[in-house]
Amino acid sequence: MNTRSSASIDATLRARSRRLMWRDTRHLLVAVMPGAAWILIFLVLPSLYLISVAFMTNGPYGQPSLPLSLESFRNLAGFGFLGWSPGNLYTLLRSLWQTALSLVLVVLVSYPIAYYITTCRKKWRPIMLLLVVVPSWTNQVIRAFGWMNLLAPGTPLSNAAEALGLIAPNLGLFPSNFAVTLGLVYNFLPFMVLPLYAAFEKLNHGLIEAARDLYASPVRAFFVAVLPQTLPGLLAGSVLVAIPAFGMYVIPELLGGGRAMMLGNLVATQFAAGSNWPLGAAGSMLMLLATFIGLFVLRRMGRKLGGGDEVVI
Amino acid sequence: MRKKSAFQRGLSAFWWLTLLFLYAPLVIVMLFSFNSSNSAARFTGFSLRWYERLLGNELIIDAIGHTLLLAVVSSVIAVILGTLIGYGMYRHRGRKLGWLIVLIYLPIVMPDIVFGISNMAFFVELNRLTGLLSPGLGTMIIAHVTFEIPFVALIVYSRFVGLDATLFDAAKDLYASPLQRAVHFIIPTLKPALLSAFFLSFTLSVDDFVISFFTAGPESATLPIYIWGAIRRGISPEINAIATLMIGAVALAAVLSLLFNRERRHL
Amino acid sequence: MSQAPHGTPETMNSDHPRRGEAGQENASAPRQASSISIFGLKKYFDGGVVALDGLDLDIREGEFFTLLGPSGCGKTTLLRMLAGLDTPDDGQISIGGMDVTDTPPHLRSVNTVFQSYALFPHLSVRDNIAFGLKMRGVNSAERQRRVSEIAEFIKLGALIDRRVDQLSGGQRQRIALARALVCEPDVLLLDEPLSALDAGLREQLQIELQRTQKRLGMTFVFVTHDQEEAMVMSDRIAVLNDGRIQQIGTPQEVYERPANSFVARFMGHDNLFEISARDGQRLTTSLGELNSDDVNEGSLALIRPETIELSAPGTPSPHAPINLNRVEGRITERFYRGSNVEYRLDCGTTELMAEVSNSGQRLFKVGDLVKVEIYPEDIVILKDAP
Repeated sequence: MNTRSSASIDATLRARSRRLMWRDTRHLLVAVMPGAAWILIFLVLPSLYLISVAFMTNGPYGQPSLPLSLESFRNLAGFGFLGWSPGNLYTLLRSLWQTALSLVLVVLVSYPIAYYITTCRKKWRPIMLLLVVVPSWTNQVIRAFGWMNLLAPGTPLSNAAEALGLIAPNLGLFPSNFAVTLGLVYNFLPFMVLPLYAAFEKLNHGLIEAARDLYASPVRAFFVAVLPQTLPGLLAGSVLVAIPAFGMYVIPELLGGGRAMMLGNLVATQFAAGSNWPLGAAGSMLMLLATFIGLFVLRRMGRKLGGGDEVVI
Repeated sequence: MRKKSAFQRGLSAFWWLTLLFLYAPLVIVMLFSFNSSNSAARFTGFSLRWYERLLGNELIIDAIGHTLLLAVVSSVIAVILGTLIGYGMYRHRGRKLGWLIVLIYLPIVMPDIVFGISNMAFFVELNRLTGLLSPGLGTMIIAHVTFEIPFVALIVYSRFVGLDATLFDAAKDLYASPLQRAVHFIIPTLKPALLSAFFLSFTLSVDDFVISFFTAGPESATLPIYIWGAIRRGISPEINAIATLMIGAVALAAVLSLLFNRERRHL
Repeated sequence: MSQAPHGTPETMNSDHPRRGEAGQENASAPRQASSISIFGLKKYFDGGVVALDGLDLDIREGEFFTLLGPSGCGKTTLLRMLAGLDTPDDGQISIGGMDVTDTPPHLRSVNTVFQSYALFPHLSVRDNIAFGLKMRGVNSAERQRRVSEIAEFIKLGALIDRRVDQLSGGQRQRIALARALVCEPDVLLLDEPLSALDAGLREQLQIELQRTQKRLGMTFVFVTHDQEEAMVMSDRIAVLNDGRIQQIGTPQEVYERPANSFVARFMGHDNLFEISARDGQRLTTSLGELNSDDVNEGSLALIRPETIELSAPGTPSPHAPINLNRVEGRITERFYRGSNVEYRLDCGTTELMAEVSNSGQRLFKVGDLVKVEIYPEDIVILKDAP
């Protein structure tokens, strides 16, 4: 291939690329614009509106009004007109704690499961993955309802916990913070198993055996040979679990009772009639921030994993 | 060798325990939907009385209607818009489409509650200013389309990527005009992916509670919203019966989606 | 063009009339029996890389024409432009006397057999073959008739009722060929259609393809990087490199009298020796002093291995011409190929490859000292690659 950069070639190329770029761009826009505009108008625009609400003042009837202020963020930090109260701070901390705890538990369960699936025969693997995923296809409310039935006072599980002295008599395992954690783990398990499975499937099994040979202990082998190779899957899964867990609404609402509120519930309450929209919007902004961090990490991971599709579906 | 097999047996036991964990809540719901008493703790005998009660409940029949209407209409719109995006992404995959990728991932990654609340606030404000789009099935359809589009786009895109790129050349070479290419090549080739995308959208729509809850109007309760309300009012065995029907419907849709996916792999 | 066997790169890429003038020239003197005419075709890739550097080419009606060259030489780009799948930056293409430079692919009477075959996965074999006819609006009865006709012609037999995903590579190739031929195009383009097949099947299909072309009398433009394939099948070959035509000629011309060192090397010749001085027919080369009958200008001497004669030292050669070239060499390697045997020789200052047909004579061993005889008419003088 000879490369030339004479003026005539440059001119030809420029003219062509201008012509093609414009035709191309028009074509791209025609195909992509209806859907992209839909997301822009019905998700990006509302999000921007919500952000702007966070900087407004709470009106007398709970609707956002001028002047612009940072009052909502003061409210979120617990400063009300009765002085400072720790309620909101507790809610925030509880959200973080529940997210972190359920994430760790999800990882602990998912690792052996994802690994076990890759060790099974090829024809069984899709079916096993399906078995893990199918429960998440049913409605969130119904799943939470199922746990309510399982954990309510007087059920075998609650009676067993009572007999072991884990809970006070007649309280049952639900409602409680424990039930919320359980619900979160239950809800997000497939989100971690799938990317981990994808990582395990690409994993070099020879390396594990070599490591088992060299280090003998399976624990060492895991940290030396397995963990580094599955790290991208682990990170992608963590984003997919942590972001929605942090903003979870249904599970704490149904399984938690009044003392297990998370950020999502705090926000939702502010939008019920007669409450505080700017405060709710400020809380939403926190979750949006988490979303963007998550998006950024996912994009990074997607590039490293070569295409983000598998991470998502 | 023996040590390894103990490790394997441990893993296998853990697998079955996890399955128990995953299915216990669903099985409980389904089991108690056939309970003859209204106890949530003890199974006293088999009966279909809760299903009979469902059929007599007009609110539930309405909710089923809303759920299906919402799912079908939103899925059709999302399949059209998402397919166009997937096609655009494929045709222009050589270009920098980062902005589009971010836009597509946004509805997937954004927490439901922020999604739902931002939509609610937006629609309420829009309605106050212009009188358009009062909360109801219309706003719900809009919101559902928004979160279904990305999944459709990704399915269609990955179908295109799996295709031999010279097929597009072959269609041109064999005298197909642009319109003929769409009708005789692109759409038939995509058909399995489109059906799969439709069923996935349908499932996502039926599955959704939070976004529906915040964009719904007083007259447009879907089944999940009805169930939510029933739970908040106090547990009734009727809910078990509706929930069982929904589990069955979603499982059916899931199986259909899988079947089309499998057919897709054959091609 | 065939009268001048090695058109040099200079004449091939000489200045050509602009498109407008070319049109006038066409009007006054239509190119008879010229199926495809290409003038000054240029194509640049982004970044200024030249894909085609002002290419001129005439392909005759009913000829099996091959574009031969290494990957990246521009042969596939040229083929895609003939099909209309790519547009040139400058220059003109006419097919059957009509300017088609800006005609979109679906309006050209040209069909392509793609390297990947590109059979539509959603259609049966029968519908794949009928696709082009259907798009042209041929009615169903006529379609049926022509599909059965072509199926018989290509001897598809029971394949016609198979699903596309049940076909082997060779079968796919034949379906792709049938799908293109059934449209009865003016020109059939073939983009390395045999490269994905294994050797035995490949040779069989080479013969089949060539026979098909002769029976139909259709113009075939075939793209390949395999010089043997090109020689077996083609009426004429154009050797391309760096977006320029290096030589056009019959397989024999291109193989026996390559226009330059690129063509020689690409056709598989190793025995190229630099000419350091020349006095008429007397050449001074790295192989020593040589006599050549070739009168052409050039800086390299080519000796094809199969023209070299080897004999044991001291063997008399009674009918040797007076100016026969004689060299001594020691055999360093031997490659036994069944019908012939290749030797690598150390001739002191340089190495030489010789190929002897295996007619049952005693074979030389590695280490043997041999007498090498080269006839003056077998020394071809050629230019260095531009």
